[in-house]
Amino acid sequence: MKKSQVSLLLALILILAGIALAESSTAAFDVPAAPAIGATIGDFSLPDADGKERTLNSLKGTNGSVLIFVSVQCPVSNAYNDRMEKLAQDYKAKGITVIGVNSNVAEAADAVKSHALANKLSFPIVKDAGNKIADRLGATVTPEAYFLDASNKLIYHGRIDNSRNGESVTSSELREAMDSTLAGKPVKTTTANAFGCSIKRA
Amino acid sequence: MIFSPPSALVKVALSLLGGIILVTLSFAAPVPQSGANGAAKDSAAVTVHAINLEGLKTLFKRDTANAKPLLVNFWATWCDPCREEFPDLVKIDKDYRGKGLEFVAISLDDVTEIKTGVPEFLNSMKATMPVYLLNENDPGPAITFVDPKWSGALPATILYDRKGEIVYKHFGRFSDAELRAAIDKSLGRMKY
Repeated sequence: MKKSQVSLLLALILILAGIALAESSTAAFDVPAAPAIGATIGDFSLPDADGKERTLNSLKGTNGSVLIFVSVQCPVSNAYNDRMEKLAQDYKAKGITVIGVNSNVAEAADAVKSHALANKLSFPIVKDAGNKIADRLGATVTPEAYFLDASNKLIYHGRIDNSRNGESVTSSELREAMDSTLAGKPVKTTTANAFGCSIKRA
Repeated sequence: MIFSPPSALVKVALSLLGGIILVTLSFAAPVPQSGANGAAKDSAAVTVHAINLEGLKTLFKRDTANAKPLLVNFWATWCDPCREEFPDLVKIDKDYRGKGLEFVAISLDDVTEIKTGVPEFLNSMKATMPVYLLNENDPGPAITFVDPKWSGALPATILYDRKGEIVYKHFGRFSDAELRAAIDKSLGRMKY
């Protein structure tokens, strides 16, 4: 076999291996692990639905922030629209800002904007193109919440509450974590599995 | 550079590459969607039963002498990779049902979809396996019961052997070859 043929064969084997690897990686949730509770989340900058750059530190309230990964199309995320808006309203005066993060590759900024308008979502929603923040936080589904205190320390990570149906909620872990922190008390539940639609990554 | 005709080995590699590209493209092809356009006309062909955590525990129990291996797929109509892999599951059901495999699909759709979106999708897939819909306000305990390491992200596919031990699990879209190999092994049908 000539040298050029060997090179071509090696290149093909590499391509085949690459394709096989890509196929297998789509099968599992190859998402970086979420930061540990207590870890500090570094500041970041993402454009909002109007294209204006917003940083975590400029958006957060005096007592912290709640990042919620959201979706335009996911029925589970949409089932939480009213609850997310109420959460934002309830805690605005208490110094905690709710920030929506849309990391779905198929949901463009204009779709995020029109969805927020149609569903009367008044809290800021940033577009995480390339899912950099979803990767940094290990977010896998929508909705999935991260409560950070005033110094961006991760206090709670997981579901908003325990039922997709707002009338059947019996446990609100996110609110409990926020209320405990505001009251200076220890947080009883710091993580709870979030259930929802997988974030479609780029 | 002069390009000489490819050797037989290179031809084999090219054929393999071409085949893989075709398979990859076929995976990227759109999958029938549930709803008005994609739904089968006869939505009465499939009945979806509601199931709670206790029902799941009973369903998963393998405590009889002639218990069969059990394959369980957790899915939802709103989950893209679930819809994409469903045709493979229908084929697996057809290939292994008569060979001693018990297979159930468990939908995590909202209960309001139990007579509409879920059976419509199943009919469009020509699905014949038993299908249940998890009817729990809080799916958390059921998810933890299935596997404490499972976050609830869909799809999830788990194979239990005749004793009820998990012998294969995959969170995310499964590999058809890997799953079939695990089923063959659980049925004592080793392939060499």
